[in-house]
Parts: sequence; structure tokens; C-alpha cells
Amino acid sequence: MSYVTAHQLTRHFDLSDPWIVRQITGRQKQILTAVDQVSFSIKKGETYALVGESGSGKSTIAQMVSGLLRPSMGSVHIDGHDFHDGGLDALSLRRMRQRVQMVFQSPYASLNPRWKVGDIILEPIKSFHLIEDSQAQQKRVAELLDQVGLSARDVNKYPHEFSGGQRQRISIARALASQPEMIICDEPTSALDVSVQAQVLNLLKDLQHEFLLTYLFISHDLAVISTMANTIGVLKNGQLVEEAQASELLTNPQHDYTKMLLSSAPDIGSIKI
Amino acid sequence: MSKTREMTAPLLEISHLSVMLKKRRDRLKAVDDLSFKVYPGEILGLVGESGAGKSMTGSAILGLIDPPLYISSGEIIFDGNRIDQNASSIRGSKISMIFQDPLVSLNPLRKIGDQLVEAIRTHINMSKAEAFDRAKTLLAEVGIDPRRINAYPHTFSGGMRQRVVIALALAPEPSLIIADEPTTALDVSVQAQILDLLKRLCRERGTSIILITHDMGVIAETTDRVAVLYAGRLAEIGETASVLKSPRHPYTKGLVAATPRIDADSYKKKLFQIPGAMPDLEQIPQGCAFHPRCDFANAQCKIQQPPLFEDRSACWLLKDGSEIS
Repeated sequence: MSYVTAHQLTRHFDLSDPWIVRQITGRQKQILTAVDQVSFSIKKGETYALVGESGSGKSTIAQMVSGLLRPSMGSVHIDGHDFHDGGLDALSLRRMRQRVQMVFQSPYASLNPRWKVGDIILEPIKSFHLIEDSQAQQKRVAELLDQVGLSARDVNKYPHEFSGGQRQRISIARALASQPEMIICDEPTSALDVSVQAQVLNLLKDLQHEFLLTYLFISHDLAVISTMANTIGVLKNGQLVEEAQASELLTNPQHDYTKMLLSSAPDIGSIKI
Repeated sequence: MSKTREMTAPLLEISHLSVMLKKRRDRLKAVDDLSFKVYPGEILGLVGESGAGKSMTGSAILGLIDPPLYISSGEIIFDGNRIDQNASSIRGSKISMIFQDPLVSLNPLRKIGDQLVEAIRTHINMSKAEAFDRAKTLLAEVGIDPRRINAYPHTFSGGMRQRVVIALALAPEPSLIIADEPTTALDVSVQAQILDLLKRLCRERGTSIILITHDMGVIAETTDRVAVLYAGRLAEIGETASVLKSPRHPYTKGLVAATPRIDADSYKKKLFQIPGAMPDLEQIPQGCAFHPRCDFANAQCKIQQPPLFEDRSACWLLKDGSEIS
């Protein structure tokens, strides 16, 4: 039984000139199909990775799965519920948002610079009414900081006092705060240095193990994906051109585009003596 | 290969270069006692994490160090001449630079042909018509249709723009190109094309390249030799295959092991991780800068900065030529 099912997911963006300009110039409407009938499913506790170059529709899919963007056609069901079917009441919608969290690419842009770290992590706890007692709240924030490898003393610091890797840990702690079942990671380590990237990827693996988290992992870096994913989907111009188990896709790629990606990805393992 | 290299004279020789940063009363070492050589026709990789001093070294070679930074000691010798005090005569003509973002390096208001002609005529005495022909040849060489010579930069894609930037860098026929993260802003397939282009130019024209990058994969696929920098100091230098296959410095070992590999089984394992992060300039530890993160550190590492042993690695544990297991 899959936890996430995306069925024929499609998203158009209207790039047309305004109506009046079109009347004068006689230009047609311009519709960009960013995601074109993409279907995939993710089992609970597993990692599904989407790989593709810029403009392939990776982040658009992430936004549709997380409920931030409405699909033009098709649907995403998470544990049987759909963000966009309109049948959900406000309470169920809140409950879904609590279960699906995101970690974004740039920890410099995704944390409010005027908020203390403690408040950043506390916000989802308050907002979803998970813990009401303020002492228990503080205890929970300390526990979350500890889980991501930061210190409970860091609650009163501001994001600028931390390095890139530590900030990404704060983002992960905030995502964990609402006790999610699924985390969507959109290029979570592409702003980080190699040694810090290894720390963050290992942390994500440990947390997945501990809380049975389901990941939708988005990256352009095949080497990073190969260390994280159970299943890999290859996107090109909004279409899913190949999908397979990680070990299968990396050793025996079928589609020409996958072969091209694999051969052009710089790989430290490729060195010959 | 390494034997023949040692017999030829180096094109660029940096010895004991230090770059200091003036910050109120403090003097912080951004580059600390760095020495390496670049031989004709080779690609030398400078690799390290942010703040390791990679770009600073590139700027120092071109004489682009401005206050509050200054070169406090050391020599840079290019083609037999000292250039560390006055690099303006060779900057852009004998040594040119390729930056990360091609949109910033190109003037958006001028046709690429005009920019190329300007770059050629600044350094080579040539008529406009001759320079225009040469610009076309350069475009063809980097894989752009010469008929696009009158196009503006915005009409090119990111990869094509980087090719134009490379053509600009080649215009004065330099003997050394410093490429500072030339492919970081590009997609993998385009990155592979640009790296192939750099390799081809290096082979066909005998141009040396210093490739500055944080990406160990790019180093593995492109460079002949590699210098690993940590906190402004040289940690290890050597033939790329040897450094990546059998690294000697604990930092290089950690860096290589922490780099994800494309491998069918790697999702089952965890990556090796080096604890902590690179220190800030204000807080570079005494002794070996890496010792707080090093599993093998001993008393000597905490007090004394290690020299480069066997022209290879700056680590006290290699003092007697022994290997760390």
C-alpha cells in the first residue's frame, strides 16, 4: 500500500501577454506545461527521488505534493487524502498540512532572520496546537534541537549566528516539530559544503529510520540521490522519462536521457589510475 | 608523466604566499604560507570548502587583492618574472580569468562580437577587421556558430554564455587561465560540455588552467594535479588520481569519503562524516588548523603547524613517511 500516490499530475502556467495586448498584436495564448502527466507512488518509510535539470519541473511537483500549488489536472493522494479535492473540511486540511512538511534549498532564505531559533521551531507546535503548556513546549523545542544535533542553549540565538549546515539543521528541526509523516526535501544540501552535506544527509537518514518518515527527495545531483533514494524518477521537460529502483536505474539505465545524465555527472568514483 | 613535468620549468610558481585581512587591530591570515607550482599545459585543481582561500589565491595571482586585504609575504613568479607586486602587465593578457556567473562577466548592452574585438585589440595590435575575423575563429573554437557574432548575451543560454566567456578569456592568447567555479551555475549535461571544452583547449593550445572548485567529482574528471586547501593552508597536493585514490592527509581522506558516489548500493550505507565545520578566520586553531576535527591528532598537532612532507601532505603523522591507516 503506497503512502503517496500521484496520478497524471499536470501543471500549466499561463505565460500569455495581457488580453488587450493579444488583441492588438494578434498573438496567441502561451501556455507552459511545467509538469506533464506525471504518475508515481511512494511507500511509507521510503525515499522517492526526483532528478532532473533546471526547468524539468522538479520543484513544481514538490509544491503540488505539499499542497502549495494546485495541479491543473491529475491528483496527489497522501494517505488517501487529497489537498485539492475540495471535499476536505478546514480541520482535515490542517491535519494534512501537519503531516506533510518541507525542507527548502537555501537555509539562508527559508528562516526568518528576525526570529529566534526557539520561536522558529515553536511556531508549528503552537500553530497546530500540539502542546499547550509553555514549559512542555520549551522542553519539546530543546528535544528537537538535540535530535538534529544542535544544543538546547541555541534557542535564544538568531539564524545569522549559525553556519549554513547548522541552519539547515534548524529547518529540519522545524519540519520535525509538527510530527510529520512525510518530508519533502527540495535540494536540501545543494547550498552546503561537502563535509556538511554528508552530515545533513546522514541526519536525514537517521531521522527517517527513527520516525519512519517518508521522503520525496528532489535534487539535480545524481551522486546525492544515489546515497538517499530507494526509487528514482528521472524528469525531463516535465515528463517522467524513466523510473526504477535506485540500484536498477544506476546500473542499467534504459532511457537515453538517463544514460546521458549518468555519463555527464561528475563522479569521484570515476577516477582511474 | 610526472617525471617530464618536473624537468620542464614551471609556468607559475607560488612560494610562501600569505594574504592578510586587516580587521580593526587584528591581522587575520586568509591565505597562509601557500606554495605550489603550475606547469605548462596542465590543469591544476584547487579544491576546498567555502572559506578555504581558493578564490583568494586566484585573485592574488591576478593582483586583484585590494585593501583591507594585502599580500604580507611570499612570491608569485610567472614565466620567470615576479608579479606579486605588479600584475597589471600580465593580467588579462598572459593570465585570464573565467568567473562563475557568465551573466555578470558579459556586458548585456553590447554585442558579443564587439566585446571580443575589444578584448583582442586591448592586448594584440590588430586592425578592427582582423580582430573581427579572429573573434569569429574564437567563437568557432568554443563551439558557437560564428554567424551569431552580432548577437547580444541575453539571447544565449547559460552554457552558451559561459562559452562566450571562455572565448573572451582566450582572446589575448593567455598561457594561463584561472577558472573560478566555471560550471557551478550550470546543469550537469552543460557542465560536462564546458569541462570537455576546457580540457580540449588545454590539450590543443598548451594552455595551463587553474580550476577552482568545491566539487570533488569535477576535480576527479578534469584535473591532472590537485591542491587541497583547508583554512587558507595547503593540506595536500599531488597527482589527482593518487590524491583521490590514496589520500594521505586526514582532511583529504575525510573529504573523499564524505563525497557521495554514484553507486548502486550506496543508499544502504551512511556517508562518512567529518565532525564540525571549517573554522572562521578569527578562530583558526593553533598548530594544525584541522586538529580539532581530526581523529588522529596528537600533542604536536595542537602546538605546531605542520610543514609539507614529501612535497605532498602537511600532516605531522606523515613525518616519518608513515601512513595513517
